[in-house]
Amino acid sequence: MKIKTLLCSALALAAGAVASAKSIELLNVSYDPTRELYQDYNAAFARYWKGRTGDDVVIKQSHGGSGKQARSVIDGLQADVVTLALAGDVDALAGIAKLIPVDWQKRLPNNSAPYTSTIVFLVRKGNPKGIKDWDDLVKSGVSVITPNPKTSGGARWNYLAAWGYALRKFNGDEAQVKQFIGALYQNVPVLDSGARGSTTTFVQRGIGDVFISWENEAFLALKEFGEGSFEIVVPSLSILAEPTVAWVDKVVKKKGTEIVARAYLEYLYSDEGQEIAGRNYYRPRSPQVAAKYAAQFSTVNLITIDEVFGGWAKAQKVHFADGGVFDQLYLKH
Amino acid sequence: MRTFPTAIRAAFASAVLVTGFLPAMRAQSHDDDIQALREQIRQLDQKLRVLERKQEIKDEDAAAAAKATPKITINDKGFTLASADGANAIKLRGLVQLDSRLFFNDGGLVNNAFVIRRARIITEGTFAKNYSFQLVPEFGGSSVSLVDANLGVALDQALQFKFGRFKSPVGLELLQSDSWTFFNERSIVTNLVPNRDLGVQASGEVWGGTVNYAAGVFGGVADGASTTNADFDNEKDVVARVFAAPFRSAAGSPLQGLSLGVSGSLGREKTASGRTAGYKTDGQQTFFTYAATTIADGQSWRVSPQADYRYGPLGVLGEYVLSTVNVRPSATGAKAELQNRAWQLAVGYVLTGENSSYAGVVPKTTFDFANGTWGAFEIVGRYSNLRIDDAAFPLYASISTNADEATAFGLGLNWYLSKAVRFSFDYYRTRFGFAPGAPAVSTAPVLRQDEQAFITRFQVAF
Repeated sequence: MKIKTLLCSALALAAGAVASAKSIELLNVSYDPTRELYQDYNAAFARYWKGRTGDDVVIKQSHGGSGKQARSVIDGLQADVVTLALAGDVDALAGIAKLIPVDWQKRLPNNSAPYTSTIVFLVRKGNPKGIKDWDDLVKSGVSVITPNPKTSGGARWNYLAAWGYALRKFNGDEAQVKQFIGALYQNVPVLDSGARGSTTTFVQRGIGDVFISWENEAFLALKEFGEGSFEIVVPSLSILAEPTVAWVDKVVKKKGTEIVARAYLEYLYSDEGQEIAGRNYYRPRSPQVAAKYAAQFSTVNLITIDEVFGGWAKAQKVHFADGGVFDQLYLKH
Repeated sequence: MRTFPTAIRAAFASAVLVTGFLPAMRAQSHDDDIQALREQIRQLDQKLRVLERKQEIKDEDAAAAAKATPKITINDKGFTLASADGANAIKLRGLVQLDSRLFFNDGGLVNNAFVIRRARIITEGTFAKNYSFQLVPEFGGSSVSLVDANLGVALDQALQFKFGRFKSPVGLELLQSDSWTFFNERSIVTNLVPNRDLGVQASGEVWGGTVNYAAGVFGGVADGASTTNADFDNEKDVVARVFAAPFRSAAGSPLQGLSLGVSGSLGREKTASGRTAGYKTDGQQTFFTYAATTIADGQSWRVSPQADYRYGPLGVLGEYVLSTVNVRPSATGAKAELQNRAWQLAVGYVLTGENSSYAGVVPKTTFDFANGTWGAFEIVGRYSNLRIDDAAFPLYASISTNADEATAFGLGLNWYLSKAVRFSFDYYRTRFGFAPGAPAVSTAPVLRQDEQAFITRFQVAF
């Protein structure tokens, strides 16, 4: 009898060992300024997942210009999830490499954009060049910092926000709009490959009079380097920036991480996920959490990519494809 | 017309105005200058910062690109094309050996000759880090042949598998690269160990690299022979070798470079034709061969204790081989078990002070006549002996055309012009012994006198 009990105990222990907690690793390939956001979020999700399943999940992060990051995933970087600056970059995973389905945006609420942001100006303390709106950025002698739209998602939002402003200013006269955008980029001395690089250029290297920046990145610069050094200027018109997220079907199926990868992105919409987004200066989607953080964001007159540019696919093709409008305007200078 | 007093008044007023406002105007101009200079400095500072930042971005891009760019390496170890992460690589190496052979006191019996001893293009590759291949065709000698063709799977440093055609792990000197043996020809001991064979082998390094082992199953080849890429019987040989460097981690100890090992093979042979093409002298002349009708039939085994010692410029290599084979004079003749034995002791000393090594000498300088650098020089000496079982005569081998013993010594000089280029100048003398009952004068002309050969080699190996 004793032997039988011992045997049963041993078997139970063995079964327990087999069924014990798993250790799962995810790779989140993201764009430049989300480092701090996902450091906070990853810790929160790991706690949540441990509590829900007993499994340990470790999330590794990779950051860079959004377009560059999408290219890396297409080229084989084994991302379980992508959290990129714009839907156009995630679309590339569906179109070229067929890593995700074409209707990926329908899989999560808000077109798979769990938080939003916009584009603002960061200027030096006292605003020595008197920058107030987009018009001031094309003036002679004003040095503008913005990343390269060919590689950076944030830079594409910057470009399109400026284009939207000029379109309204010149009543849709495309020739004048192009002249405006050309003049703006003529004032750009350095094109970094990503938004974080441009932050370094403006904030740490002391180059330029104004930095066209993600709102969250501008707040972060104020937080990191003190409000005594910089000021945020909100232009009269900006754009609703919607960074989007997706799990990479081909990778998660191969790695067996589909459930946790999906849960990782879904949890961004939870109260805790939205709270973390707000804390990191992203605009939460949740009305309750957005209301809580409303005071930290200015009210901005926003255009959307769909209404002004006909969506990302069209904007990408017209403006940022090789030989597109940006190339024509920038290379001319 | 203006009156004089009016003119004076005007002049006076002007003077008062000028003297009163001039300092203020000067101060204003001075401030403007300073302001302009400050602006100029600010603009120059910005330009400088932009230039520095552009360079910084360029450097970052170059560093990132370097991480993703396939690497091309060209050095004295060959040409390598490798993926950025090193997991996939193709390596091209080569070996060319051009010999001159000069024989003394043989009455012109053996041709003095120039020989292309070896000419190999070695292609090696690694895929997904752990899978490899090696392909070695031979263009030297009298015909083109395939020397090595094998695939490898590396599970761990301690466990690697090799499949295909490669050196059977028995002879110490045979396992050393053709390029870096002390002498330009291996010793007569190599006659008794298997050369290239077809099979599968597990090998690895254990205990921190102090012990390496190899064990495998092979088709089985005769002494000194290589497989013809077809198994000549239904039997297989089991081959194993253990080689230990017990003091490897004892830095500075005179024993650090001591390695000891033993290897062996065990199998059964049943051949329809001759056991071996013959045993050769250092000068590559045949001094023993079984009769054409003799066949192997039964168990064969070899055992070979071996040692290698390196201490600075000094190198010593020694091995002993006992090879046992069961033979019949014909398919129905009486069976006998023959035991042939051989041993050698070889010593090298690098006169220019570089370290002696099983993998060759790396000269401190490359030979450059214009700059007065000469590379490395090494003197080498060797004594070796091979003895055929007397029972082989006369039933299994002709007593009148074979020697039953060869004793050889050699002296030589190696000149390492660079890591990849070597000249070697070797003198060999081989004395023959004969079985009881052999004729006073051998019927094989090459055995009637000691063999004296002077073999030089110009070699490029990378």
